[in-house]
Amino acid sequence: MSTEGTTQVAAAALSRATVEQQSARLGEPAWARERRLAAWEAFERLPAPAVARPEEWRRTDVGALDLGALAVPDPQGSPARQGRHGPLVRDEATRAGWLAHADGRTVGRALRAELARAGVVFTDLACAMREHEALVREHLFALASPEEHRFRALHGALWSAGTFLYVPPGVEVALPLVAQTWLGTPGGVVFPHTLVVADQGSRVALIETFASAPAERRALASGVVELIARPGAQVRYAAVQEWGPSTWEVGSVVRARVERDALVHTTMVALGGDLVKVDVEAHLGGPGASAEMLGLYFGTGGQHVDVHTLQEHAAPHTTSDLLYKGAVRDAARAVFAGLIRVHPGAQKTNAFQANRNLVLSAGARTDSIPKLEIMANDLRCTHGSATSRLNEEHIFYLMSRGLTRRQATFMIVEGFFADVFDRLPFETLRGYLQARVAEKMI
Amino acid sequence: MADLAIRDLHVQVEEKVILKGINLELSRGEIHAVMGPNGSGKSTLANVLMGNPFYQITRGDVLYKGEDLLAMSPDERARKGLFIAFQYPVSIPGVTMASFLRTAVSARRGYEQELMPVAEFQKLLREKMEALRVDPAIVGRYVNEGFSGGEKKRAEILQMALLEPEIAIMDETDSGLDIDSVKIVADGIMQMHRNASGGMGVLVITHYSRILQFLRPHHVHIIYDGRIVVSGGPELAQELEERGYEGIRQQFEVIAAEVQESGAIRRAGKVFWVTH
Ligand SMILES: Nc1ncnc2c1ncn2[C@@H]1O[C@H](COP(=O)(O)OP(=O)(O)O)[C@@H](O)[C@H]1O
Ligand SMILES: [Mg+2]
Repeated sequence: MSTEGTTQVAAAALSRATVEQQSARLGEPAWARERRLAAWEAFERLPAPAVARPEEWRRTDVGALDLGALAVPDPQGSPARQGRHGPLVRDEATRAGWLAHADGRTVGRALRAELARAGVVFTDLACAMREHEALVREHLFALASPEEHRFRALHGALWSAGTFLYVPPGVEVALPLVAQTWLGTPGGVVFPHTLVVADQGSRVALIETFASAPAERRALASGVVELIARPGAQVRYAAVQEWGPSTWEVGSVVRARVERDALVHTTMVALGGDLVKVDVEAHLGGPGASAEMLGLYFGTGGQHVDVHTLQEHAAPHTTSDLLYKGAVRDAARAVFAGLIRVHPGAQKTNAFQANRNLVLSAGARTDSIPKLEIMANDLRCTHGSATSRLNEEHIFYLMSRGLTRRQATFMIVEGFFADVFDRLPFETLRGYLQARVAEKMI
Repeated sequence: MADLAIRDLHVQVEEKVILKGINLELSRGEIHAVMGPNGSGKSTLANVLMGNPFYQITRGDVLYKGEDLLAMSPDERARKGLFIAFQYPVSIPGVTMASFLRTAVSARRGYEQELMPVAEFQKLLREKMEALRVDPAIVGRYVNEGFSGGEKKRAEILQMALLEPEIAIMDETDSGLDIDSVKIVADGIMQMHRNASGGMGVLVITHYSRILQFLRPHHVHIIYDGRIVVSGGPELAQELEERGYEGIRQQFEVIAAEVQESGAIRRAGKVFWVTH
């Protein structure tokens, strides 16, 4: 064991020096280092997102965030303890591989030998950069740019312990891969980056979990997930977010590029954190591309969840189907803003969007903002949003059969989410989420 | 004292007074029928007995096995053995009959934290479904969602059979059923009535007398404009049967006029029924 392993190194402030140290520590090639520094430069240059993109940030105020009070966790620090999500990762029989990141370090990995032999790469990004440099260089930040806003720039400068998944043409991975991200440092920051490249005709599924310590001090996360589905590929991706109660997740994005005849299925689950602002986007770039987008959020206490979705049809004969459902309780607030954009020439498009919200307390609120930008004229497009309160007649009916108000409410909430559960592409996730929703009811 | 004692019950919704002094006593082992025209307050009475928060009770009280029923929450009433088969049961999307029924039976049987074991529940459920000839497919469906009128009524009876109430109120469970189904339902009720340990009291609210041919109530009450205007034995239903419901309806109008004038509900009722 090296001596550094036992030396206490202070967590590092968010600074250019930290960016350079991080790149050096990971042994990155020059191009990667330069990208980080360019991102840092963008971070210093860009105005606050509320100024740069007021419409997108109108309902979520991050002005109170003190970046000076945050620090990159000590990379030599004591190994962080395992977070939640045990049931999703423990059972080897239910997964094809596993990757664990804690406080910006990769602390565990596994991949079934037959998949490695078939050319599947499932490892942390730094490692991938060394072993598959051309692949990473071509695709990393292909879908997201540090110039988009300050948080994305900060992410571009300081991302670490990323997840890299490559599936060669025609390879089908039957069981999901699982990646865990854990932030254990109070007042720490984490910038998880995930890059999935599913080559032609391949099939793969990735479940990612995000959690942080239930510390008092504000922690910050800002992630980028890039999902690239090459022609005919099928990618199923789920992000299960259960940050601790003081964590802010700001400016994250899950963005998919769906090429000809490819399919991307995304599931976004937001249960944790104090303030969460994420975008989930599917860009349908080739004829026959389709995207299914599922979302489940549940705000309790003073939680604030703001999700913007985009279904972007840039090619004809493309399909997108979105269902986002959320519940809010106590003084929680949820915002859903969903945009369907159909480019000129993207004829024979099918775009569906539904957002449903359930308000469980008088002090809770939701906003649902569907938007359409349609520049083609031969398409089918439907969108609907509805917000309802707990139906007292339903409660009474269940109580008249002996269920307590709490049991009745729980059943109704579980029932409300049932169609999302039914459409989840992973069996393991269904049971897990049902239990987590139950916990949120307590 | 009767197991269920309703005394001078007045109920309103917002400004509208619906029940104007209901008096009724019912005990385990007894079958009562409540008959009356549409809008006379039958469903209101049933809902109030079960604790539907929508209705305001302005006067009167209800004792259930000597306790103040109106002070109990609906679930407490259910766990203590009161049951209502609703006239218009609501449908609840996403909630499967299976999980709902298992939770309900567990509550009634006093399971506190956990639920009744699955195997035991399934056995019970199968038994009851067979007896009532309920299509087993309904347990996989969402509560009342997309059920036909008849399916809803059968599902209500299935719940009753599973919960084994001490006092059951059946709100027009027979309407919307064909005569064969009425017979199955009535047989089911009679079987529950016979087999209930300690006896089961039944309050059958109905529009038609046909279910009463099978149920043979001990007591019949006629409700009109929020009041029970007359109570009698099974011959009352017989009479109703002979005269036809429409024929009787005109007589209700007569009573109503008299009630309006004299305020003497019981006398008015007596006048009507005794003079015939
Ligand atoms: N929820 C309600 N809101 C307003 N009026 C109601 C409500 N429920 C019942 N009523 C009124 O009370 C009267 C009695 O209704 P109900 O109890 O349903 O009668 P029944 O079951 O005998 O047909 C009717 O005039 C009905 O319009
Ligand atoms: Mg009625």
